[in-house]
Amino acid sequence: MNVEVKVLFFAKAREVAGKSCDILSVSSPISYLQLLEEIVTTYSLADIKRNIILAVNEEYCNLDTTIYLKPGDEIAVIPPLSGG
Amino acid sequence: MPKQDFEDLKLEIKRLREELHQKEEFLRERQYKKLQGKNVYNDQFTTEEIVRYSRQMIMPNINPHGQIALKNSKILIVGVGGLGCPAALYLASAGVGEITLIDYDEVELTNLHRQILHSESDIDIPKVESAYNSLKRINSHIKVIPLRLHANSLTIKDIITKNKYHVIVDGSDNVATRYLLNDVCVMNDIPLVSGSALQMEGQLTVYHYQGGPCYRCLFPVPPPPHAVTSCGDGGVLGAVPGTIGVLQALETIKILTNSSGVLSGRLLLFDGTNTTFRNVKLRERNLKCDVCGENPTVKTLIDYELFCGSSSHDKVINIDILKCNEQIDIIDFSTILKDNVVLDVRPKIEYQMCNLPNTVNIPFTEIEKDDVFEKLNKLFKNKLADGIKNVYVLCRRGNDSQRAVSCLKKKFSESPIIFYNVKGGLHAYSKFVDTSFPRY
Repeated sequence: MNVEVKVLFFAKAREVAGKSCDILSVSSPISYLQLLEEIVTTYSLADIKRNIILAVNEEYCNLDTTIYLKPGDEIAVIPPLSGG
Repeated sequence: MPKQDFEDLKLEIKRLREELHQKEEFLRERQYKKLQGKNVYNDQFTTEEIVRYSRQMIMPNINPHGQIALKNSKILIVGVGGLGCPAALYLASAGVGEITLIDYDEVELTNLHRQILHSESDIDIPKVESAYNSLKRINSHIKVIPLRLHANSLTIKDIITKNKYHVIVDGSDNVATRYLLNDVCVMNDIPLVSGSALQMEGQLTVYHYQGGPCYRCLFPVPPPPHAVTSCGDGGVLGAVPGTIGVLQALETIKILTNSSGVLSGRLLLFDGTNTTFRNVKLRERNLKCDVCGENPTVKTLIDYELFCGSSSHDKVINIDILKCNEQIDIIDFSTILKDNVVLDVRPKIEYQMCNLPNTVNIPFTEIEKDDVFEKLNKLFKNKLADGIKNVYVLCRRGNDSQRAVSCLKKKFSESPIIFYNVKGGLHAYSKFVDTSFPRY
């Protein structure tokens, strides 16, 4: 089943995606790796694929989990910032 | 004014400042002598300390025990820039007993919009010295130790073996130093108060605190160097690192006073564009983490520049990808500027900020696009008809212009146009041709 979720971009992901949020339709349940792949492909984030944290509704997603998404869930794409 | 006169004036100002400082201290000692010694009302603090810290000490959160803890604390702040300045300011004001500052850089004019411990008269002096002076003016009771050095495995190891710090504050500006400080903190069991900021965004969390995750638990591999933007390139609004730096001071105080509610296992994301704070719950410590896991593979400090593939500073490293005959020296360029076609490939905003006359702006990002051929042909049609074949490509430092020349050469291989890179870009122009061109 596909659900529409809100994707929030931070730091480098925001710069590359060219927006701070977007609505994305993804299948649910979905494995972490599939979700990451889907987001990375849709928003051209391949360069920082290994440097991203995904958080669903403000909670970190573990790499080996299956994620059950509901419509309207928020997925934050968080690369580290290093400036100061 | 001759150069020697400048130097003499600087020395005289320095001498007068020291004299002023001595006189101020002399006055203070006389005026407040009675307040600075031991008193019969509390054997832990001087009268002045009690009055000075009263506004925070009367709160249950701090109370006299917390204030004593702050007084007996030793902390290390790495980086006295946009984050380190506000963090150090509040920690010194709050009465943290010993603050060591590490930074190798000198104060520059481009720092002053956000690095609030430094002032106009501090330009060209080491940041740690400037910060030391500012902090001592605010609180002369605490010990501030300025260390002008580059934080790397060797220097940090030396400092850590000689001192026991209760907290390390990461106010650095690059990936390599962030991994270095993380590993130092894990190996020496010190909480790391980590802040970072760029443009309108900031991040804050406390690593390796009471069994919580470390930086490597979250980010096991460093980002590729080309995917990292520095404040020098991306820009930063001073109040954003200001916000994060102040919160770093707050978390440090909570750790030092053994308070609850420390931002560990949570990541604060600050977005200054709409003033939102998001608190993301993080993973637990990764038992397979390379440094804080059950079987760590990183047991001593490594070469972090090698690990990250990038330098442990945020300065731009210049490239050199063109042949000599594809480039023009800045002095030669300045003499022919008026009658030639000059392409400035900086971003539009930077071009709007300052530009040379008779130049055309096509940002580097546009150069890579497919329609650049038509665009340039249209632009140079008249000039080409006049027999001008040379196009000079210019940018901020002379790096993007090299990339642009190399890209344009391929796209225009069939055309009579010859592209030249202006060596050293506008930085060189400001340095060697006209110092009134803003070097930013």
